[in-house]
Amino acid sequence: MSPTPSPEPAPNGREGWLYQLTGMAPTMTTPSPQKSTMRPRSQLQRRVASAIALGLGLLTAGGLYTAFAPQPQVALAQGDGALIAAGQELFDSHCISCHGPNLQGVQDRGPSLIGVGDAAVYFQVSSGRMPLARQEAQAQRKPPIPQFDPHTEQGQANLDALSAFVQANGGGPTRPPATGVDLRGDNPARGGELFRLNCAGCHNFTGTGIALSSGKAAPTLDPANESQIYTAMLSGPQSMPKFSDRQLTPEEKQDIIAYVKSVTDGNNNPGGNGLGGIGPTAEGVIAFVIGLSVMIGFALWMGARS
Amino acid sequence: MTLSRQDRPEVTAADVEDMTPEQLARLAHDLDDVEVIHNQRKWPVPGTRAEKRAERAVALWFALSALSGLAFVLAFIFWPYEYRSPFEKGYTAYALYTPIIGATFGLAVTAMGVGMVVYVKKFFPDDVSVQQRHDGASDEVARKTVLAQLAEAGQDTTLARRSMIKRSAGAAMGIFGLGLGIAAVAPLVRNPWKGGDQAALWVTPWAPVDGETVYLRRDTGILGEVSLVRPEDLAAGSLETVFPFREEERGDEEALLHAQRASDASVMLIRLRPDLEVLKRSGQEDFNYGDFYAYSKICTHLGCPASLYEQQTSRLLCPCHQSQFLVTQYARPVFGPATRALPQLPIAVNDEGYFVARSDFIEPVGPAFWERRP
Repeated sequence: MSPTPSPEPAPNGREGWLYQLTGMAPTMTTPSPQKSTMRPRSQLQRRVASAIALGLGLLTAGGLYTAFAPQPQVALAQGDGALIAAGQELFDSHCISCHGPNLQGVQDRGPSLIGVGDAAVYFQVSSGRMPLARQEAQAQRKPPIPQFDPHTEQGQANLDALSAFVQANGGGPTRPPATGVDLRGDNPARGGELFRLNCAGCHNFTGTGIALSSGKAAPTLDPANESQIYTAMLSGPQSMPKFSDRQLTPEEKQDIIAYVKSVTDGNNNPGGNGLGGIGPTAEGVIAFVIGLSVMIGFALWMGARS
Repeated sequence: MTLSRQDRPEVTAADVEDMTPEQLARLAHDLDDVEVIHNQRKWPVPGTRAEKRAERAVALWFALSALSGLAFVLAFIFWPYEYRSPFEKGYTAYALYTPIIGATFGLAVTAMGVGMVVYVKKFFPDDVSVQQRHDGASDEVARKTVLAQLAEAGQDTTLARRSMIKRSAGAAMGIFGLGLGIAAVAPLVRNPWKGGDQAALWVTPWAPVDGETVYLRRDTGILGEVSLVRPEDLAAGSLETVFPFREEERGDEEALLHAQRASDASVMLIRLRPDLEVLKRSGQEDFNYGDFYAYSKICTHLGCPASLYEQQTSRLLCPCHQSQFLVTQYARPVFGPATRALPQLPIAVNDEGYFVARSDFIEPVGPAFWERRP
């Protein structure tokens, strides 16, 4: 091929596409016609130059791609592979019939679990709500099945494995590392303010719960442990709204837990018996029935002949 | 036989001097027309062991009452009454404070009463007496003389002819009484229509003052802290109670608290799940911001906080009378006694990314009242 007389790259020339790709001046690879004293380059030289230019271009394009390309938007299994595998085994033997082999859910049986996260798994399974006993208005708390009993070491390990498996499929909110007393904040008074504002509507100011629509109910908080209260706020199980960490910060959640723990399960009953903790109705009935009976008894005794 | 008033025994001072206490007591009965039919003493022979036992039983009740009373006073003064959390040392003592002062006080009163009743039962004689009842007015002489006495008193004090004093005193007492009556009734009178278009019934604290932006603010449980709400703060399927905030109120704890406590200011900011089909109210199509909808928390039935949010069914429940509102259909009532939808607050997000109210509610919040157009 003879050198092109014009400084413009030859549009149809063999190196034309390369010039355009690399943006290199054509003078660098083609001798200018003015410098005719120079011997035209050999074919080998031209080929080597072309190969170098091509390599540089590919490297630049690849580098730019690596630098600017977005991260892939696909769920990737993360964490301990063995744990996830164990979790999958547990999932396949306990959850698969309602939630489907790929966690996608089964029509009229169970919802998709993709993206519900480790927090939801811990809440539902450790409180015995899952596996579900039967299809009804809402899942009831019951003693967890032995494999997932959080009070045993094996049950805790199984819960962790199952959570890891669900977490590995779509992510979602995760439970806090702390458990038990460590999850109680140090300001139960503030927790009480927040509880009455955000939670007491359904759970009552002493966490005793209330009826909702169509057979659903907000449960009593007496049996819930700290992690269950925390993960319930985070994951919004069933009818309950979600409380993300930006809405109620982790510190606020812990203060709420401190308050709940200080008023539920027989705590803070200065009268000796909370009478259900549901307010003046129960107290009025007890005062009326028992108090009036005692009064009548006294009156009969006073009027009786001795 | 009974004595009528006419044949009441005539008793002179000299007779009384000579009477024994028993005779005097019987005379008292006779003068009152009382006839003792049966009077049997409980302990005819004094000093028996049974009598002493009965005496001790009564004394025991009174002693118990005295001891309980003393225990009550001491507990009331010295028992630790300040709050202790169940996880702190001293909680048991604190938790016992109310039962202890209640039990000791109750026992003191009850034992005193039981002691009295036991005393009456053990020691009062079995006694049946009959007193004659006299019908009709006092006799003629008594009536005439009392009237004459009163008239004479009027003459003696010259009140009968002092009409100036009578009228002025009447005016003074009457007006004072009227004042008392007004003071008793006035607190019951309120004028909720004061202020015309801007009356408390028509506007809420969300109404902008001097064109200042009204932000949506959350309550963090810390007095005076201002935490504004951004769209990314709420997860899908969540509810947050928000209150109005203007920059002018920053640092003013009283104003901030007032905005939180105002009965018509509470608003529920709800973020629906994006897959829900939403029916908007005609004329209010742009009141929401994406999946965010803001509704008044005050039930349109009787004003309870209707904030029981079922995020799966998108229903808001009112705990007082079980009204239910469907959030996906402009919070219209679908069950229960409420008849109007919850008012919707028009919201937007400003340049800085904070939620703001675009205006006040366009209708009154809370229960209906006569002047309210439906």
